[in-house]
Amino acid sequence: MSEPNLSSIEKIKQASDSLRGTIREGLEDEITGAISEDDKALVKFHGMYLQDDRDRREERAEKKLERLYSFMIRLRLPGGFLTADQWLATQDIAGEHSTGIIKITTRQTIQLHGLYKSHVKPTIQAFNEAKLHSIATCGDINRNVICAAHPKQSPIHKEVHDFAYKINELLLPKTKAYYEIWLDEEKLVDKKEEEDPLYQDRYLPRKFKIALAIPPNNDVDVFGNDLGLIAIIENKRLTGYNIAIGGGLSSTHGNPSTYPRLATVIGFVSGEEKILKTIYEIVTIQRDYGNRSDRSLARLKYTVDKMGIEWFKTEITRRTGFPLDKEKPYQFTERKDYYGWFQNSDKLWYYTPFIENGRVTDDEKIALKTALYEIAETRKLNFRFTTNQNVILSDISDDDKVSIEKILKKYRIEEYTESISSLRKNSMACVALNTCPLAFAEAQRYLPSLISKIEPLLKKNGLQEEDIILRMTGCPNGCARSYIAEIGFIGTALGKYNLQLGGDHAGMRLNKVYKESLDEPAILLELEILFSKFAKERKTKESFGDFAVRKNLV
Amino acid sequence: MISPDKMKKIKEFIDSLDKEEQTWTNGYLEGIHTGNSSIEISSHKNSTENKKITIAYGTESGNSKKIANLFASRAKQEGIHAKIVSLDQYRLTDLPKEEYFLTVISTQGEGEPPASAKKFYDHIHQNGFNLPKLKYGVLALGDTSYPMFCKAGEDVDHQLGHLGGQRIVDIQRCDVDFETDAHNWMNDVIQKISGTKSSSYSLAKVVKKSSGKKIYRGKILANINLNDRGSAKQTHHIEISCEDVFYKPGDSLGIVPHNPVDVVETIISHTGINAERTFVHRNDTCSVFELLHKKLNIVYLPERVVAKYAVQVKEDIPAMKTGLLDLIRRYPVKDPSHFETFLQQLEPITPRLYSISSSLETVDGEVHLTVARDKFSIDEELKYGLCSDHLCSLKVGSEIDFYIHHNDQFRLPEDNKDVIMIGPGTGIAPFRAFLSERESAGASGRNWLFFGDQHFTTDFLYQTELQQWKEGGVLHSLDVAFSRDQEEKIYVQDKIRQRAAEFFQWIENGATLYVCGAKKMGEDVEKTIIDLIKKSGAADDAESYINGLKTEGRYLKDVY
Ligand code: SRM
Ligand SMILES: Cc1cc2nc3c(=O)[nH]c(=O)nc-3n(C[C@H](O)[C@H](O)[C@H](O)COP(=O)(O)OP(=O)(O)OC[C@H]3O[C@@H](n4cnc5c(N)ncnc54)[C@H](O)[C@@H]3O)c2cc1C
Ligand SMILES: Cc1cc2nc3c(=O)[nH]c(=O)nc-3n(C[C@H](O)[C@H](O)[C@H](O)COP(=O)(O)O)c2cc1C
Ligand code: SF4
Repeated sequence: MSEPNLSSIEKIKQASDSLRGTIREGLEDEITGAISEDDKALVKFHGMYLQDDRDRREERAEKKLERLYSFMIRLRLPGGFLTADQWLATQDIAGEHSTGIIKITTRQTIQLHGLYKSHVKPTIQAFNEAKLHSIATCGDINRNVICAAHPKQSPIHKEVHDFAYKINELLLPKTKAYYEIWLDEEKLVDKKEEEDPLYQDRYLPRKFKIALAIPPNNDVDVFGNDLGLIAIIENKRLTGYNIAIGGGLSSTHGNPSTYPRLATVIGFVSGEEKILKTIYEIVTIQRDYGNRSDRSLARLKYTVDKMGIEWFKTEITRRTGFPLDKEKPYQFTERKDYYGWFQNSDKLWYYTPFIENGRVTDDEKIALKTALYEIAETRKLNFRFTTNQNVILSDISDDDKVSIEKILKKYRIEEYTESISSLRKNSMACVALNTCPLAFAEAQRYLPSLISKIEPLLKKNGLQEEDIILRMTGCPNGCARSYIAEIGFIGTALGKYNLQLGGDHAGMRLNKVYKESLDEPAILLELEILFSKFAKERKTKESFGDFAVRKNLV
Repeated sequence: MISPDKMKKIKEFIDSLDKEEQTWTNGYLEGIHTGNSSIEISSHKNSTENKKITIAYGTESGNSKKIANLFASRAKQEGIHAKIVSLDQYRLTDLPKEEYFLTVISTQGEGEPPASAKKFYDHIHQNGFNLPKLKYGVLALGDTSYPMFCKAGEDVDHQLGHLGGQRIVDIQRCDVDFETDAHNWMNDVIQKISGTKSSSYSLAKVVKKSSGKKIYRGKILANINLNDRGSAKQTHHIEISCEDVFYKPGDSLGIVPHNPVDVVETIISHTGINAERTFVHRNDTCSVFELLHKKLNIVYLPERVVAKYAVQVKEDIPAMKTGLLDLIRRYPVKDPSHFETFLQQLEPITPRLYSISSSLETVDGEVHLTVARDKFSIDEELKYGLCSDHLCSLKVGSEIDFYIHHNDQFRLPEDNKDVIMIGPGTGIAPFRAFLSERESAGASGRNWLFFGDQHFTTDFLYQTELQQWKEGGVLHSLDVAFSRDQEEKIYVQDKIRQRAAEFFQWIENGATLYVCGAKKMGEDVEKTIIDLIKKSGAADDAESYINGLKTEGRYLKDVY
């Protein structure tokens, strides 16, 4: 079904010969570190973004040098799982081809930044050696499928986690472009037809995100996804999933027709086959009815609001051939990572250190990168990433625990993690400057110092132990899910942020703007007032977000 | 006063003359006044009938060639049969058979012959043969601002005599304003050959009007390090504004750098010489301080000068090159008077040349340079080259004196001809000028550039400009080699090899080949090109194919 005026990206996708475009030629062009505009859109489907160092633009221009272009690559890790060997490989690759910093993202995977054009192919080939790839981690397609991170959360964790892989498989594109361009084709095992009944030649109108949550912890922010699956457990068994559609956490400054939206629960499905079928058809509906002329209105959330929930339900049934059951009761109470040591039902051990904004590197405070490398070398564990940009050292047997603890001690990781304030532990910031082209303001480079200035304000009011979820993004795209934080900072210009209040602990409520475009002094002043009010007037156990709403602050 | 119609005639007449003819006429009129010119306008050519002469020239930037051509046409006017040849094309085996052999040769480097005269120069310096029949004369082009003034010409003059040749006229040494001296030398030669005192008017003696170099004063408009952070290099793009400056793409800018004041002062204090005391240097008198600061080379003395110093201070100093200050520190002068005498033996500061990287067609009243800050180390201590360091540190708004060194041997062909430019590092400079010129002229000929340096991200000089020329179609092909971005080193010659077939095609289609940059690179590139001509199979003898290109002026080098 062709639409009146397709957006330029739509045309590029369709003309791309299954996402090949002229990427190969572009890689051979030695006079620029960039690739063509069209190919920029296409490499996303291969898991990469062409970026440039925004800190260096003016200076390079004066030197008559082009922008300092480099690529960011994002891995596909359903449920955020890596073996120790894969972690070692990743660190080696990062050291050899990128900035060396490993960035754990808010969607449970990792990104490497600063790969120069000539390094992209070697990087992907090295990842391939380690059985890792970046297919469809960006672009108008189903992204990395995220899943409740911590195995201690429930005995059925493994079952849910495995299901994330099945969904992942189901929604991968069929094109072999990735293997041809980056892996020189012969590496390709069996050459099936590229025929793609799901994505056809147009793919989706926009990115598509799926999350699986295990109540009562909503660490994945299931309602921020296009499609959310909430595990329903009855007498210790996973009976199926509640289906929620139309989540999305971004808006565009000055475009009132855009808005963040929490997903709507539309029913319950059980039985693996039926669940997969339902997921599949929800995607096909978005493929067929999503807006392909205006990208700012192309996400599923707008399709849902355009067509209506009821219409959507019937359309699903029409396509699957069976109706959705009525949604089952569930309850989310928290949204957090479990720092420290914990044991799961199979008596395996898990340790979660604090990693500020997911940046794994060695700095004056702590030698995380070196420590994690040494830990991985024991090969007595797996790595699991959380959607709060942390890592869980996972699946450690009783006997192996000591050897790993030794290394943690050696690098004072536990000491460090315990020393972190609860505000910092509950905070996230997106990448923003210097690599993100859409950033209006700083985020991960700035939040740490801002928090250091906020901590004393809490202490002053005896609130230092409070769990207050604070998130900062450098623009309204909300990559660190700042719209569902209790305190949200959303960049409007360099040094200026909207202060958002009113999110809840469980991620069931969006926050609202409290004050616009505040600079640092203004931010600190506002918070000081709010905290002392909160300290004095809160009800027992009342969270800061609930307080803000009860007091009609927003 | 002169009547309008007379004036008109004079103007018409003057316009009809070329530069040399004007110079001559100018001096000729002077001569009439000062009465020292003979105006017997009679011509009896019979004496010069069937005389054969060979005029051989060795040139780097075209001056000697220009003079040689002028000489040939004058000789022909006199009925002399003149054969003209560039020394690199000259068959050395012909030398013994020559009757009259006139050499016009410039001096390059540090008193060396031009590259094109090297073969000839070396040949006559290996004895073991003699030239009893040879009647010869040498016209030496040079520049008094270089220590070894006209050295190459002198060597040739001396050697030909040494080999038994008979000198028919004394060697004439010419400074940069060589027109009149050259003219008079020609006259002498022609008179010697024709045996008459003087014949046609064109042979009358011309009084020299000394002009010398035109020195410009420019203002720095911009001074930017083109290399990005983390680069091992420092290459500055320098823009100089200068109202009346004139140059052509291919020319260079010449500068006589000044010595650092602190070094000069330390030398003065160490030697106890009186800084105010005045000296006569060349035609101007100046203080010891000015002498050491602006005129004499003290930063890096050649062995011959160090030897002279040794004599002065009565020490035996091993043969070496070194800075004057180090010398004075190691071997102090016992008495200021010794140093005064030694001052006379110091040599002038040699001018430094920088290829001009702009075209007046696009930036009127401006000269652009591309200067690499020269780095070297003496026992672990990092030092910088005198002139390049000074240039790179010039602040915007500061002033600088320079002259233009014209190079008629490095010019663009007609607009419809293709050009291939090979210029890694600062070798890019003249080609930036070429491309600007070709762009503004809307030249239909195609342009192919080979550039190279160490790293793509930090050392891609003029990257954005080159990209625009590529997009705009001014550059039809742009190949880059970044030596240190991968395991194995990759250089421009490797890129040429990769595109050998096309490269050869362009040459076959009449493209002109330009090479600029480091000497060593020039040699490697030449090897590669000879090699690919061989492989192409199209030419049975690659050497002579290259020589063919040289004679056609389709293979031009400006290496340093
Ligand atoms: C790395 C990450 C933030 C982080 O610090 O962890 C991130 C980083 C970027 N996001 Fe995001 N997004 C990330 C999670 C999110 C989330 C959170 C989530 O999914 O739970 C959101 C909000 C939820 C949603 O999608 O509605 C999010 C909403 C966006 C948007 C807005 C989409 C929209 O509907 O308008 C954009 C801009 C766009 O797509 O046009 C965007 C675009 C970007 C880009 C790729 C900028 C660009 O398009 O060129 C950022 C790359 C910056 C850099 O240099 O790395 N990112 N992005 C997260 C990577 C997740 C992953 O592994 O795939
Ligand atoms: C035709 C032509 C065109 C040119 N075009 C360019 C151009 O476009 N761009 C460009 O950057 N250059 C160009 N050059 C080179 C330039 O003219 C200079 O040679 C160069 O800048 C170095 O000069 P300098 O005064 O900075 O260094 P100098 O002071 O002359 O030193 C040069 C070298 O001498 C040695 N040296 C000097 N002093 C000492 C000491 N005290 N002890 C030991 N060793 C010493 C070192 O090896 C040093 O590297 C060109 C040259 C020619 C002939
Ligand atoms: C790099 C360079 C070095 C030179 N060295 C000398 C020299 O040592 N002695 C000298 O008398 N002239 C020297 N000159 C000046 C030239 O001989 C002078 O410019 C002459 O006119 C060039 O003639 P041509 O164009 O025929 O080569 C040098 C010129 C250049 C460019
Ligand atoms: S929120 Fe905005 S600034 Fe931050 S990473 Fe996402 S797009 Fe970039």
